[in-house]
Amino acid sequence: MARPREDKPGGPAKQYYRRKKVCKFCVERIDGINYKDVKLLSQFVPERAKIMPRRISGVCSHHQRQLNDAIKKARSIALLPFATE
Amino acid sequence: MANYEIMFIVNPNTAEDEIDKINTQIEGVITSGGGQIQKIEKMGKRRLAYEVSRFREAFYILFALAANGDVVRECERRLRVMDPVLKYLTVRVDEENRRLDKMKNYRQKRAARRSSGAAAATADQAGGEAI
Repeated sequence: MARPREDKPGGPAKQYYRRKKVCKFCVERIDGINYKDVKLLSQFVPERAKIMPRRISGVCSHHQRQLNDAIKKARSIALLPFATE
Repeated sequence: MANYEIMFIVNPNTAEDEIDKINTQIEGVITSGGGQIQKIEKMGKRRLAYEVSRFREAFYILFALAANGDVVRECERRLRVMDPVLKYLTVRVDEENRRLDKMKNYRQKRAARRSSGAAAATADQAGGEAI
């Protein structure tokens, strides 16, 4: 006999619908992440000036690595803060 | 020869002509060392993200050049010695540029293929309508 759908292994259907995060750089076809582009980079440094983790921003690993480098370069020339006082 | 970008920040209280003097000096180092200058960009006075030797703002200057490593080393040494220069950053950009060119080419090719395909389709349609 067929079971009702809700009782399938894996539990009942999720209650909340979470929108799938997408990588901004893949979607908008931004090729190079440049350390001079403060406007772009500052979207990924929240208030405390830490680099936003991938699980929150949804950036893919490839672009997160590039973003990391760019932010660190920008920090060393005082375009972005290391920490907010 | 490789492509580099040197960015440095200068004390905000220095006069305009003094900044030009620094620029010509760096220019001299690069050209006499057999390098080529691609771009000199004065990005103007900007607020610093954090305090650098008690300054909250500074002049940003960007050099783009193609030169040997020795030339770049000499430039950095000069910048270090100069008093009004607060900070500098050298980035090697040719690998990045190569990658960007590749991506651009790829995108263009794809776009061309797609548009030519679309053009052919519309031509077909037009032909069909004519008949």
